[in-house]
Amino acid sequence: MSQPVRLFCWHFMSYPHVPADFDDKYETAWITVPNRLWDRDKSKGLLNGYIDQLAYADTLGFDGMVLNEHHQNIYGLMPSPNIIAAALTQKTSVGKIVVLANLLPLHGNPLRVAEEYAMLDNMSNGRVIAGLAPGGGQETFNYNTPAAIQREQFWEAVDLIEQAWTREGPFTFEGKHYPLRYVNPWPQPQQRPHPQIWIPGSQSRETMRQCARRGHCYFLSSRVHGGAIAKARQEFSKILDDAGSKYDPFRMGILMSAYVSETDEQARVESHEGIWYFLKNCLKGHLRNFQGRSLTFGPGVPNVDPADYRRMLENTKPGRAMLGDVDDWDALTKAQSILVGSPDTVYRQIIDLVRETEVGNLLIQFHMGNMRDDLARKSMRLFATKVAPRLRDESRVVFAPHFQELAEPA
Amino acid sequence: MEAEKREIDVRGRKVALVEAGSGPPLVYLHGFADLHGVAGNLQPFHEGLAQNHRLLAPAHPGCNGSGDFLQGNRVDDFLFHYCEVFDALKLDRFALAGHCVGGWLAAEYAVRHPERVTQLALIGATGLFVAGEHIGDIFMNSNPDHGTSLATLRHMLFASQDAAQALRYYPDGRGDLDEEMRRYGMLRFGSAIGFRPPYLYNRSLVDRLYRAGMPAVVVWGAEDHMVPVSHSRAYAKHLGHSTLQLIAGAGHAAHLEKPGEVLAALQPFLNS
Repeated sequence: MSQPVRLFCWHFMSYPHVPADFDDKYETAWITVPNRLWDRDKSKGLLNGYIDQLAYADTLGFDGMVLNEHHQNIYGLMPSPNIIAAALTQKTSVGKIVVLANLLPLHGNPLRVAEEYAMLDNMSNGRVIAGLAPGGGQETFNYNTPAAIQREQFWEAVDLIEQAWTREGPFTFEGKHYPLRYVNPWPQPQQRPHPQIWIPGSQSRETMRQCARRGHCYFLSSRVHGGAIAKARQEFSKILDDAGSKYDPFRMGILMSAYVSETDEQARVESHEGIWYFLKNCLKGHLRNFQGRSLTFGPGVPNVDPADYRRMLENTKPGRAMLGDVDDWDALTKAQSILVGSPDTVYRQIIDLVRETEVGNLLIQFHMGNMRDDLARKSMRLFATKVAPRLRDESRVVFAPHFQELAEPA
Repeated sequence: MEAEKREIDVRGRKVALVEAGSGPPLVYLHGFADLHGVAGNLQPFHEGLAQNHRLLAPAHPGCNGSGDFLQGNRVDDFLFHYCEVFDALKLDRFALAGHCVGGWLAAEYAVRHPERVTQLALIGATGLFVAGEHIGDIFMNSNPDHGTSLATLRHMLFASQDAAQALRYYPDGRGDLDEEMRRYGMLRFGSAIGFRPPYLYNRSLVDRLYRAGMPAVVVWGAEDHMVPVSHSRAYAKHLGHSTLQLIAGAGHAAHLEKPGEVLAALQPFLNS
C-alpha cells in the first residue's frame, strides 16, 4: 500500500478590514496600498487569532501548517513567517511547520535563514519544512532585489544554506554574492541530514531542473487548473528522469483553496464574502489583470531568461484573465483553484485532481480574505472529518500502481 | 543614411554595434527610449549625429544583440566593459554622448578618463542623486496597467503619452516581438545597473564631475517625467565647462520627440 496524500492547512493571514469601496478607490493591494487603512483597534488580536486557527488545524489532524512571506500588502501579513512559525512551535505538537518560504535575496545574509530554520527545527522537535524562494515581482520592489540577478543570487544562497547544514564547520564559503570567511552555525537542525527543502516555482524549467538535481520538493505556486498542473508534473517527471532521479507524489506540491459546508448552496452563501474579498481586494496588483497593475510577472520584473521570456510572448496573449479577474461562481469553478461545496463535492474535485496529476502534497488555503473565524474553522473541521479521510483512503489506491515502493511517512 | 551593423568581440563578449558617417569619432551610449533600447536602427536624431562624425553606437550588454551582462551588476562593471569596448574599437580620443542610462555611463567614463574624451554631451542623463527629486520608477511602469496599458510608461518617457513616437514604440497590448525583446533586454540591463539603491544613480558621481574638464553640453527635455530637470542643473553646475539647454515641449526622450531641436543644441558644440 502506498502513502496517502499529505494535507496541509495554509494560512495567508490577509488583512480583513479594508473599506467596502476598496476596489473602486484603490489601485492596488500591494506595495503602495496606503497603510493608513490599517485599523489599529480592529486589528487587535488579529495575528493571534490566525495563529490559533493554525493550532486548531493541528488538533484536526492536518499533516502540517503552511506559512508564507509577503511584504507591504493586504494579501499576507507575514513579512517574517519565522516569527509565526516560532509561535506554532509552542502551540502545536504534531504537524509539520511549512514555511513557504523565506525569500532569500531579501535577507541580508542567507546564513541567518539557515540559523533561524535550525532554531525552529529544534524548538519544534524536528517538524520544520524549510521553504526557500527568490521572491516574486512585488518583492523586487519592496526590498530592491535587482530582478536581473535575483535567480543567480537565490541559488547561491540555497547552496550556502545546504552547506551550512551538512558540511562540517567552520568552513569558508567562496560565494560571489555571499562570501563568508566563517560558516559554522549553532544550533544545527534537529532533522538529519537537514529539514526537507521545498522550492516554489511557477512552471519555470530552470527551477524544476535545480530541484531535480538537488533533491528538493518542487512546489507549483501558480494558480492553474488541473490540466496545467498535470503538464507541469509531466515536465518535472521528465526532468527528474533526465537527472537520474524518479518522480514520486511527494516530490511535488500544489496550492489550492477550499471552503466546505454542509451543502454546495450553503458553502457558497457562507464563503461568498471572504472569497470575493480575497479575489477583488487581496489579488489586486497580483493575480488580477483587468483592474490595477499586476507586478508579479512582466517586463518590469525582468528576472526571466530572455529566451524563456520570448517563448512566453510567443505563447500568450497580452492581458489574459487571471484568477482575480473572474466575475461569477461559474468562472471561479472553471478556474479550479478555489473549491467550494459540500464535503462530497470538494472530495470529488480534489481526488480528480490527484488522479490527473499524481501530486501528493496538497497545500490548502481555508481562510480567505475577510472570512469570519467561525466559518474558517467550520470549513476546516468539515474538511478534516469528512473530506480528508476519504482522500487519504482513495489516494493510496490511486498512487499504489505506480508508487508501491513508497514507505509509510516517518 | 548608410549604417553598418556589426558585432565585435570584446574579450569573449559579443557587442552589437551600429556605425555610420565619417569624421572624428563620436561614441553614443543609448537609453531606454532609444536606438538599441527599443528601436533596432538609427533614428533621425542619430543620423543627424553622423552628419559630421563617425558615429559608433554600441548596444549595452543584453541589448539588441549584445551578449547578456555576464558578471556585471554594478556601474563599475559596466564602466570597465566600456573601457574594453573602446580599446577594442581602437578609439583614442573621441567625443562621447549619451542618453538616460547611457548618459550616466558617459559621465562615469569622462570622470575616470577625461584625457580621452574631447567633448561630453548628456541628454536626460540618470546618474545623479538630487535630494527630493527622484528618478522615476521605469520598472514598475513597464508592467502594464489593467493588463495592457502602457500609458504611464509613455508618460514617463515622453512629454505626451499620446505622442506618435510614444505610441509607435510603446503601444498598448503586444508590440512587435523584436521590439518587445529589445525593451526587455534594456530593462534587464537597467535592472542590473540601477534597480537596487542607488536607483540609476551613483552618489559618488557628483563630487567627481569636476574631473570632466572637457567642454560639455547638457540637453534636457523641459518636460522630462523620468529624470527631473533639476538633475540637468546639477550636472551643469558640477561639470567643469558646460552649458545647459532645455528643449521646450519635449520629455525624457527629447531626442526622439524633437530631433531637430536637440541636434541644433548639440551640433555646433560637437562641430567646434
